[in-house]
Amino acid sequence: MQTTFTPRITIFYCINSFTETSSVFCEIENQAEITFVKLPCSSMVKDVFVLRAFEADADAVIILVCPEGQCRFVEGNIRAKKRTTWVCGLLDDIGLDGRRLSLFNVKSGDEASLEKILDGTLSVLEELGPSPVRRN
Amino acid sequence: MIVGEQKPIAEIKEMVAPYKKLLVLGCGTCVKTCFAGGEDETAVLASAIRLVSRKEGRTIEVEELTVERQCENEFIQEAAEAVGRNDSVLSLACGAGVQAIARRFVTKPVLPGVNTTFIGVLEKQGLFTEECSGCGNCELALFGAVCPVTRCAKKLLNGPCGGSQAGKCEVNPDTDCAWQMIIERLKILGQLDNLRAYVPPKNWNTSTSGGPRKLVREDHII
Ligand code: SF4
Ligand code: SF4
Repeated sequence: MQTTFTPRITIFYCINSFTETSSVFCEIENQAEITFVKLPCSSMVKDVFVLRAFEADADAVIILVCPEGQCRFVEGNIRAKKRTTWVCGLLDDIGLDGRRLSLFNVKSGDEASLEKILDGTLSVLEELGPSPVRRN
Repeated sequence: MIVGEQKPIAEIKEMVAPYKKLLVLGCGTCVKTCFAGGEDETAVLASAIRLVSRKEGRTIEVEELTVERQCENEFIQEAAEAVGRNDSVLSLACGAGVQAIARRFVTKPVLPGVNTTFIGVLEKQGLFTEECSGCGNCELALFGAVCPVTRCAKKLLNGPCGGSQAGKCEVNPDTDCAWQMIIERLKILGQLDNLRAYVPPKNWNTSTSGGPRKLVREDHII
């Protein structure tokens, strides 16, 4: 999916569910600027890290975590999901639109799902446009 | 501990709107435990204020700092330089902390970022329950250490009211009936006889009804 602007997407990911070398990212490189933030477990996705990504001009933030029940640290991905829901509400209150933030459970190496996630994010951004707090 | 809840961002943004340099000041004790005003919440709120201000085209510099306790001068002192650098302070402490900061830095506007809610207990991670109303004359010994003043919706000192069902309060079925708990606890302690004693109406002079209270410990004052 091609958007009318070059979106900036920050991806927080758990090293147990995903690697940056995925071919899906090579394909998307000319459609979006992607910043990766690698985490030892998705439970490390703190509210403030997500907000700082928006402060640093991200148009959208994606959080990739392992499927439920498969977190190496038992409940990291459940914590990440609850926090994400909370931050989505805060983004709505701020007026940034909570749809700019989303969390997905993906199996390591599931390229097809990854492609769908990125495509879905680009469609949302096409509808929402650049972040209203993006500076350049 | 004192339990509080952060105010909604819509209210906070209006409060801070007149200022250009804001210090968001957290408190690392009670309000940290209830996720309203510790380091993490201070950082989140500071970021949220920067974002909402940028969205609305306002310029504001936001600094963050958390001190151990805002209700003690020793710790308040640690915030002095940061307070000096800013034109206003948004305190995330309870109402006592906000007032202590305002008293110490008389020329600075000090704004409350938290709604102070109750004196309570951390029941389990993320769940806080109200347990004491600070009545100033504790009678827990009579009630098996379950406070009817706070936990009975009708504040009955000679309960139960007769309306509780299956251990739940008739006023709110999500709440355990305080009198059921009192009786169960007295049973365990072998003190059911406490129920025979008539408890006279409470003298509310010792509560806030007698005006603001003060505690003086001469032995600690030099
Ligand atoms: S200022 Fe309030 S919240 Fe902070 S430690 Fe004192 S009583 Fe607790
Ligand atoms: S009797 Fe008074 S001091 Fe004791 S727990 Fe109840 S409200 Fe608090």
